[in-house]
Amino acid sequence: MLRRVLAWAAAIIAGIILGAASAWATLEIAGASFAQRYGAWTHNRAAGSTAAGPYTRAIIAKEGLLALSSREALYFNLAEDQDGRALSEACIYELSGREPAARWWSVTLYADDGFLAQNNDHAHSVDASHVSADQGGLWRVRVAPVRGDAVYWLSSRSAGRDFSLMLRVYNPQRDFRASAETLPELTRLSCAGRGL
Amino acid sequence: MSSAGKYVWTALLVAVAAHFAAIYATPRALMAVAFERLSSGGANAWHMSDRVTPLSRNIVRPSPDFAYSACAYDLARGPISIRVAPWHQYWSLSFYAANSDNYFVIDDREAHNGVEIVLVRRRTEPDIAGRVVQSPSTRGIALIRRLAPTGQEYDRAREASRGDVCSVLSQ
Repeated sequence: MLRRVLAWAAAIIAGIILGAASAWATLEIAGASFAQRYGAWTHNRAAGSTAAGPYTRAIIAKEGLLALSSREALYFNLAEDQDGRALSEACIYELSGREPAARWWSVTLYADDGFLAQNNDHAHSVDASHVSADQGGLWRVRVAPVRGDAVYWLSSRSAGRDFSLMLRVYNPQRDFRASAETLPELTRLSCAGRGL
Repeated sequence: MSSAGKYVWTALLVAVAAHFAAIYATPRALMAVAFERLSSGGANAWHMSDRVTPLSRNIVRPSPDFAYSACAYDLARGPISIRVAPWHQYWSLSFYAANSDNYFVIDDREAHNGVEIVLVRRRTEPDIAGRVVQSPSTRGIALIRRLAPTGQEYDRAREASRGDVCSVLSQ
């Protein structure tokens, strides 16, 4: 009798563990498959929407709780360079792009825990009000642990490995079209100790 | 069915149920945590966050370019009066239900001079004048974002926020 009770209990506990683990795996690993990809950028159009399905809603809540709906703001996330490598504090990157068709935009650097990197460089974010494009209409921001001679800089100091960049586009205009060509491009310039 | 088989099937059925329960519960649990954090100074009142720094740990992926004010609202005691004072740059007011849905948003394009809203649980609440918004859940979070990319702008936003209201509607 006791063996049977224990067997049932074990089956139920195993089921709960399996179910919780598969849910965690879905949110953690498969999260990217719920997003649209534009080059290396990922974006979930359902962010904050009331039409979001249960999986999308759970992923959005986990990745960006209290996000705005896509009518108000669009969020794009970048976690790899042009070769698909994870972003690292040991490397120097250049982010370049054109003014998006929107009222305001910003790019913010987050450490792998989703919070600002633990440094006091006051260079966690660049935004439309402070970045100017060159004559060719292109703005350039250096992403590196030190500023060097860069005009615009996002500090990756203490961001470690697997940091990410988030592009926020507020009040996108009707003709705003996200694509690999219209979104900023991140290029790895060099990495400490091994060049490219 | 063999005796081992029925245990395996039970484990699988429980696993499917636990999977969907976990997916369903995740946004609600995260919202509940956010509600508790944001209402630590009391529900139904605006709390303006300090300027976002590397030490800001309440909500993931905070933007350092915004001055955030949050009101964890609870409609159990009746409708809530919400007022947002105007701001000279981009601002928005958004409402989030207990399941994390952003069910309402208004910004300065539609409400250049600020906005006044009465938040209700049910439309049947009588004698409420003005703009009424229905919350899909009794509890939720209201959030004001004011664009303030510099320390100086943040201080101005703090001044402006003194005109914001989030309180149980006096009837």
